[in-house]
Amino acid sequence: MPTLTIDGREITVDPGTTVIQAAEELGIYIPRYCWHPGLKIAGNCRICQVEVVNPKLKFPCTIACNLMCGDGMVIETDSDEAKKARADVMEFLLINHPLDCPICDQAGECTLQEFSYEYGHDKSRFTEEKVHKSKRVQFSDQVSFDGERCILCTRCVRFCRDVVGNEELCLVERGDHEEIAVANGGGLTNPYSMNVIDLCPVGALTSSDFRFKSRVWFLEETPSACTSCARNCAVDIGTRWDKVMRLKPRENEHVNKWWMCDEGRLNYHYVNAADRLGYAYVQQGGKLVRTSVDDAVAMAHELIGKLPAEKLYGLISARLTNEEIFLAKRYLDQVAGAAGVGFLPRIGEGDDFLISADRNPNARGAGLIGVSAAKGLAADIKAGKVKGLVIFGDSFDHDEELMGALADLDFLVVMDYRLSETAKQADVILPGVTFAEKEGSITNIDGWVSKLNPALPPPAEARRNLDLLAGLLGRAGQDVPDTAEGVFRLLAETVSAFTDISYGEIFAASRQVATDAVVKAD
Amino acid sequence: MSLKPTNILLRGMEKESSATIENYISEDGYKALEKALKEMKPEEIVAEVAKARIRGRGGAGFEAGRKWGFLPKGVDKPVYLACNADESEPGTFKDRHIMEHCPHRLLEGCLLACYAIGSKTGYIYVRGEFPGAQQSLWRAIDEAHEKGYMGEKILGTDFSCEIYVHTGAGAYVCGEETGMLSSIEGGRGHPRLKPPFPAVEGLFRCPTIVNNVETLSNVPFVIHEGADAFLALGTDDTPGPKLFCVSGHVEKPGCYEFEAGANLKELLEHCGGVWKGRKLKGIIPGGASAHILKPDEIDVSMDFGSMARAGSILGSAGMIVLDETTCIVELLRNALEFFAHESCGQCTPCREGTGWAKKIVTRIEAGEGTMEDIDKLWEVADNFEGMGGKTICALADAAAWPTKSYVEKFRDEFEEHVRLGRCPMKG
Ligand SMILES: Cc1cc2nc3c(=O)[nH]c(=O)nc-3n(C[C@H](O)[C@H](O)[C@H](O)COP(=O)(O)O)c2cc1C
Ligand code: SF4
Ligand code: SF4
Ligand code: SF4
Repeated sequence: MPTLTIDGREITVDPGTTVIQAAEELGIYIPRYCWHPGLKIAGNCRICQVEVVNPKLKFPCTIACNLMCGDGMVIETDSDEAKKARADVMEFLLINHPLDCPICDQAGECTLQEFSYEYGHDKSRFTEEKVHKSKRVQFSDQVSFDGERCILCTRCVRFCRDVVGNEELCLVERGDHEEIAVANGGGLTNPYSMNVIDLCPVGALTSSDFRFKSRVWFLEETPSACTSCARNCAVDIGTRWDKVMRLKPRENEHVNKWWMCDEGRLNYHYVNAADRLGYAYVQQGGKLVRTSVDDAVAMAHELIGKLPAEKLYGLISARLTNEEIFLAKRYLDQVAGAAGVGFLPRIGEGDDFLISADRNPNARGAGLIGVSAAKGLAADIKAGKVKGLVIFGDSFDHDEELMGALADLDFLVVMDYRLSETAKQADVILPGVTFAEKEGSITNIDGWVSKLNPALPPPAEARRNLDLLAGLLGRAGQDVPDTAEGVFRLLAETVSAFTDISYGEIFAASRQVATDAVVKAD
Repeated sequence: MSLKPTNILLRGMEKESSATIENYISEDGYKALEKALKEMKPEEIVAEVAKARIRGRGGAGFEAGRKWGFLPKGVDKPVYLACNADESEPGTFKDRHIMEHCPHRLLEGCLLACYAIGSKTGYIYVRGEFPGAQQSLWRAIDEAHEKGYMGEKILGTDFSCEIYVHTGAGAYVCGEETGMLSSIEGGRGHPRLKPPFPAVEGLFRCPTIVNNVETLSNVPFVIHEGADAFLALGTDDTPGPKLFCVSGHVEKPGCYEFEAGANLKELLEHCGGVWKGRKLKGIIPGGASAHILKPDEIDVSMDFGSMARAGSILGSAGMIVLDETTCIVELLRNALEFFAHESCGQCTPCREGTGWAKKIVTRIEAGEGTMEDIDKLWEVADNFEGMGGKTICALADAAAWPTKSYVEKFRDEFEEHVRLGRCPMKG
């Protein structure tokens, strides 16, 4: 265990720790472009130079990213030598850079801008014609490249090569004509391609989805998780004008490291879509008529109460949070006494990196709470075994068999965030919310519990799902909490897998916790 | 030390048949290999080479025996030899002579090295522009196979070894040892971060010894005649024979073999002096990347230590003679065009800095520079010089040294360009 001194402070680190990492442990930030904790060391940008204090060295500065901590080493990150080395690198980086920050999407998140302010010389000595390179190249439908802004840190190339395992991006040309290009005239087609946009420290790789939508400093970022598959990648939801503008991966060492897939990243447009439910509706004379949410809740409860319990089935979506599933199940089991509950399974194609074949984000949580995949529901409806159906947070517009069976029901109650074709058949529609408008926890495929946070208010009169569920339980005289925290406590008391998890662990730090209980619950 | 000719590295070169195996054998060729395989253990070869202190002839002067000793012990990965025959330093053409005229000496050196380091595979990375050297080596490899000096169970012993020729595509940076390894693996010729050094993690991530053609061509002599015979030649700083490439404005350019430490001034005289009876302006002693020496600085011994003390480098011993009509600014522009073009582009200071320096000197040459430009040129070069911190490989240093030394030693000529608004040499 080497002990070294960085800026006068001693630290003992594990063997194999680099100086840039050790400094980080001390809270000392050494600037970097090419270095990234999730990528192999390239050592090409040279901005992370620090001074190794040793009078014998002719050139005392060296790069901190490839310098292994040695016992007795003395490092200065802010000495005159180190400052000059960084300022020189900054000058070199900027000479051929177009300096078009006013029209660059990266402005505000650009470390070139940031470090130049912090570590650069105050004026440029460069008076030559700049090198011209490729501009506005579409690497794919989603990723566009500006060669003149690129600082050739090769993060994007290394991500494709070392993380995804393909060589879709490469370097072409040499010297100050060097550029990034898609290899062999192909495209950037891997399912994780958009991570290169986040990795790019400058505005050389930009997202066609996000470009020119908003200056990043106007975005409000809410930590949450992706709900497009059972991985539950940690994300930041970027919002402005009550709309989701983008999803970006957020670091989480257990779930997704630094990355997310393109499909999950782009799957937020439905939050902003026109078919969102803002109001409650009831069926009257073959037409949906708007009503107050409280009246709709009361009517739903009444309808459900009228039917013999053995004819009632409840679909509880595995897209809902642990808390929502818990309350929905409690209502169906304890109040309505439904003959069966289940969730609609969703299976797609998975891979061995992040994308899970299970497209239900909370199938694991549903299973732990006692809700499993629904089986033979259409046949049961056709056979008259099920006459009343309650759907919490789901729809099956493209399932012809189920859609065809709906006509045989006595009634249908739907709680959802949009007016789906399924919902249009309902007697009562309760307007709920999407992942972006609620708080709650979800349990990923490996048992890690993540937290969703509301980035937006529910639209119009729509309510948080927990409010709607607590309302239904309230009708039956069951007084349950309507906060995610309160319901989680109740859940943890009831479902053994969650007993060891404290609210604070998942909720306060917005970090994942896998307890033995959850993992063992398989 | 005055000039002492040796006849070791290019022995037999004057003969038409010098490249044939018959000729090589007639000159005691492959005797060292036979002796090594039958009488010596690999460690003894390493020890003998270490004792001879063969300093790397690729330019950096690192002792070959010490390098071989850095191989990690007890690793169950293959070990490789990679012979650097990229020879792309401008003004250098010694390895080419060895490969074209005495290929078997190099092959024997490679086989001895492989035996010593426990390798069964060696690569000779030959510069793309050297088809003659490639042909010559391929022919020699076939001959060596036929005579049982290469392949399976060499000379009936348990030692099996193959040497392959890998042809480059003509990039200076592929002469940098780790750039060469990247290129052999089929990638871009990108030098790699050190550590890890090739001896620990080199070709295909296996321990690899990289040596220059001339370095390895010294090994047969050291094993056959013994380290003491080698140490008796040259200087204490740089023992052994040495090839000197003489080019430029000189009466008799060519590749000459003398003991290391030959006096530069005498060498110039030996080559007939500056051509056309003109006066000397300067000598670039170690290939285009070396610092220039003025006429009053050339009374110096051509070994690694003396050249460093004289403020330059022995480098590849490619000495370029410049007569009084040479425009130093033009010379630098030419050199920087080369270095900027050859920069692999990885490191910020080298990628951006060499191109910037080239643009400044181009303007000065065209008479469009200012006095500040001259300082700026020096400072830009100073800002990309300093391998380890500033860059991954020494190509940036190779560009910085001529830039800084030409400006320092011929500043008046740069200023003259600024003052006149044109090149003073071209009227
Ligand atoms: C830019 C650059 C180009 C080089 N070119 C060559 C070359 O063409 N041939 C060579 O033997 N060494 C060259 N070298 C030196 C090699 O990196 C390395 O030091 C050498 O091959 C080691 O062999 P040696 O110890 O036997 O000299 C070059 C170094 C640099 C930085
Ligand atoms: S495009 Fe961005 S990530 Fe890729 S090398 Fe250029 S600056 Fe780095
Ligand atoms: S892997 Fe799954 S959770 Fe992660 S971003 Fe993709 S869809 Fe979302
Ligand atoms: S110093 Fe120049 S040639 Fe060497 S690795 Fe860096 S950019 Fe490439």
